[in-house]
Amino acid sequence: MGEKSIWVKLGELDRRVLYWTLFILLAVPFLYPLGLPVSISETTLTLYNYIETLGPDDVAVVGIQAGVSAWPEVLPGLVAVTKHLVSRGVKIIFWGFYTDVDMTMNAIKARVPQLKWANEQVGSGDYKYGVDWVYIGLLAGGEAAVAQLADDLHSVIKADKFGTPADQIPLLQKVHNAADIALVVTSDTGDYGDYYIRQWAVRYKTKVAEVGIAMNYSTFIPYYNAGLAVGALKGVRGGAEYERLIGSLGEGTQRMDALNVSHLLTIFAVLLANICYFMTRGKKGGGG
Amino acid sequence: MPYPTEPVEILGAWVGAFLTIAIYSYILYRENLVFRFAEHTYIAVTFAVSIVQAVSMIQNNIIAPLSNGQLTYIVPIILGLMLYTLPFKQVRWMARYTVSFLVGIGFGVAIRGSLTASIIDQVLGSITPPINGSPLDWFNYIWIGLGFILVTMYFTFTVEHKGAYYYPTRLGRYILMLGLGVYFGNTVQFRMAMLSGRVQYLLQVFKIIPWP
Repeated sequence: MGEKSIWVKLGELDRRVLYWTLFILLAVPFLYPLGLPVSISETTLTLYNYIETLGPDDVAVVGIQAGVSAWPEVLPGLVAVTKHLVSRGVKIIFWGFYTDVDMTMNAIKARVPQLKWANEQVGSGDYKYGVDWVYIGLLAGGEAAVAQLADDLHSVIKADKFGTPADQIPLLQKVHNAADIALVVTSDTGDYGDYYIRQWAVRYKTKVAEVGIAMNYSTFIPYYNAGLAVGALKGVRGGAEYERLIGSLGEGTQRMDALNVSHLLTIFAVLLANICYFMTRGKKGGGG
Repeated sequence: MPYPTEPVEILGAWVGAFLTIAIYSYILYRENLVFRFAEHTYIAVTFAVSIVQAVSMIQNNIIAPLSNGQLTYIVPIILGLMLYTLPFKQVRWMARYTVSFLVGIGFGVAIRGSLTASIIDQVLGSITPPINGSPLDWFNYIWIGLGFILVTMYFTFTVEHKGAYYYPTRLGRYILMLGLGVYFGNTVQFRMAMLSGRVQYLLQVFKIIPWP
């Protein structure tokens, strides 16, 4: 048997070598930030511009339909948008349709210190629980529940996360249906963006924006082009863009460098695999 | 935020780091006992969290109103219990009523906004020319129209894809592959972002970079 050529050897490279390379390369930008440029997408800018028009008389809903596993993608965007809403004084109702929604709520709250629970000291500029913001917790029922929330919020929400009846929460007394909501920010890994578009945007003309994973972006864009959505953040990149817009660089910006490095490695691996394939195609023991 | 100082929080951070490494040991090394342990722990914890959340939700949204005299809330409880008859052959017909109820509600609710959201507004958005748009907007406008026609031709199976139909359907197939490639690219980007999140977390727990 003759010795294998370099192309055959590269083509047979143990995949763990690539995984280790990726794992190590991803760590480098966190240690030595590269500061690669991130341009602002139109869909991010339109959401930012819309929130700029809102004020203390407006109420926004932040629907958390992404689990903890999607934090690297959606949390930077969720935090940045929440910070922006808080800076505008917009009242916020948080709820979620994902079982670990409590953990995501806690993560947002830890990163937006103005949000105070009922038992916490409220200072100047802070958000008082029940008055400026409220957390409903987990909801169930899929699209039927989303539709019913649009028609009659109080028929679905009987109490907040802590069991306080809805009629004793000042913020919830102000809202009755989707027409009272100025913006819905939906963060999901599945179909909830579609639900809010169908049940809130179409029927009540409520502004809907997506802060989802990158995979959802291409399916949500047709809604944006059709004028049914006010904006959309594309995964961690959208989060990084929004952090730049509000002037509060955070985890999204940090992670973008790592993401760019990972893309470069992916492109390199795809090119190398194709070159190896074509160099060995038709040869004995080769790829073709 | 500062690095956790409470013992429970520190323990939580380190357990998270250990489980992350344990899970990634599958692709960085091979299947092993530590990976299996982490995998089973993950499933068990997810299940436990779901149970706690479900009980809490039923308590707040069903039991509380029911105990306040709102007797109509007995209906969802009965429908829910009927689902549990599925494993028993003699009475599993009862579950069909719950399933048909769920399917009926789901279909009825979804159809309400679908026509506008998924067809009318999207067609209008696609056929409306970007009068004051940039050259890129015009390219997108033509691309969407052309792509729609060619991909639809590709999926027309009542006419054989040869002769005058050969090149348009071939092009439609390439456009379709391009679209699927974009979806796949987005999927890869999502997984990379998740991996970068875990790498960042490990560096934070080991105090190599600041805690978020």
